[in-house]
Amino acid sequence: MDRRKFLQQTSAAAILTSVGGLTLSSFKKKQKHITILHTNDTHSRIESFESSHSRYPNKGGVARRANLIERIREENPNTLLLDAGDIFQGTPYFNYFGGEIEFKLMSMLKYDLATIGNHDFDNSINGLFKQLPNAKFDFVSANYNFKNTILDTHVKPYKVIIKDGVKIGVFGLGIELEALVDPKMYKETKYIDPIEIAQDMSRILKKEEKCDLVICLSHLGYFYKNNPNKISDLNLAKVTKDIDLIIGGHTHTFLPKPTIVKNSADKNILVNQVGAYGINLGRIDFYFDESNKKIAKGSTILI
Amino acid sequence: MKKSLLIICLFFVFLGCEKKTLSLVKITAKTIEIDSSINKSLKYSQIIKPYKNKMIKEINTIISYAPKDINRYDGEMQSSLGNLLADLCLRRANLIFNKKTNNNIDFSMFNYGGIRAGISKGEVTNKNSFELMPFENSLVILEMSGEKIKQLISYFIKNKKAHPLSKSIKLIINKDDSYELRVNDQEFNSERNYFVLTSDYLQSGGDKMNFFKNPISLFKTDYKMRHAIQDEFKSLDTLKAQIDNRIKLN
Repeated sequence: MDRRKFLQQTSAAAILTSVGGLTLSSFKKKQKHITILHTNDTHSRIESFESSHSRYPNKGGVARRANLIERIREENPNTLLLDAGDIFQGTPYFNYFGGEIEFKLMSMLKYDLATIGNHDFDNSINGLFKQLPNAKFDFVSANYNFKNTILDTHVKPYKVIIKDGVKIGVFGLGIELEALVDPKMYKETKYIDPIEIAQDMSRILKKEEKCDLVICLSHLGYFYKNNPNKISDLNLAKVTKDIDLIIGGHTHTFLPKPTIVKNSADKNILVNQVGAYGINLGRIDFYFDESNKKIAKGSTILI
Repeated sequence: MKKSLLIICLFFVFLGCEKKTLSLVKITAKTIEIDSSINKSLKYSQIIKPYKNKMIKEINTIISYAPKDINRYDGEMQSSLGNLLADLCLRRANLIFNKKTNNNIDFSMFNYGGIRAGISKGEVTNKNSFELMPFENSLVILEMSGEKIKQLISYFIKNKKAHPLSKSIKLIINKDDSYELRVNDQEFNSERNYFVLTSDYLQSGGDKMNFFKNPISLFKTDYKMRHAIQDEFKSLDTLKAQIDNRIKLN
């Protein structure tokens, strides 16, 4: 009901990105549907905000998020749940239990992957390592080199997940830690320029791993108005190709809908971020046509 | 009969082997707000409960009262919350500093981004102090040259953010970014050194406050900012926080 209303409202503002996909009546055609759910900067917000809170009364909370996610999974079992970092820090739950409950609940919610935000180093890299046994999901980060740290081999640059035969490649990107995190916290973690890494990752995932969908899980930040040349999700989207979706974090940007950005190959891609504190859940649905014949590519973005 | 069945079987094997192509045809997106229209999952609430109970007693202890919302958004290059924090940290840290060194802190400076939450009108509890200052940052006092103080003020003016400064500062910023500065009711003197209070995070280069690096001397209090906040709030029945004339924009 709600959803239908949403579609009706939005179809008026639908953006037809390219209309190359004249569907040929092939011998056999089947549609596949992948749902991507995402959060970012949840900052240890285990419970809903108090009803007396000045900005977000009664918003958020893991127990509510759990019901919502369960409902969506019932609707489409081929759902991926991702987090773009800064899971830690922000409520006494973190100060008292060091991230234990955050990771336990995310595991129950069946998160598939998360990337590492700057605040995830707040109890130092050892504090993060200590909580890893509570996380039944993996961490991806392609531009932090953890080789000389305790996290070596525990964080992968990317992961390929197959849902209903659709290959989904997800890689992670983290923000520059210098001047943001005390060096004694991140120790020997080396930050690598995210642009080159993103170009490598997207090529590997699209060309070598032959993924149908490439997602960048980023904690670089959406965009820096006062420092427009600083690397951000919007800037990254423009200079790379073969990424279909960038899920961002760090800047706590409440986007009402994803931003459409033209990449370096002049193709439209999506950049999204859903604010902070678990107030919102992002949902992006990808529909694929399966056929025996190769058909002309073209997709419609309805947002 | 058998032969035709085999042919049919082979036909399906052939179909199965053929590489299927997937083409992305449609994308839809939606941001779903999590509000009270969504019920809480009992299973999750039960997992959270023992953790919550452990914390709740200490956290819900009422330590003060806020007669109005106190936030970091209500001023130009200053805020009621920033002023409150800068002043209380100075007062608390100076008790330690003065006792150990016989010197006094001239002023304090923190970063706008380090204030992580506001205080809503009503009872103030320990929880507020955690939300205000979730980080384990400690207070440090730096002896800085007048030249470094100039860099600090330039950073503040250029940055155009309400970075908290204590009330011992009187700064008038003109339209052309020139300024008049008084510290503790005396005209700023670039020839002398000043004792400046900040956090260990900012001292080590956080928020690119590079003027805090390599000070003439560094005094570590080992006193956490959160503890300073808690100690000060406990000593006050009512929190008084306001915009004042420490920063004036001409």
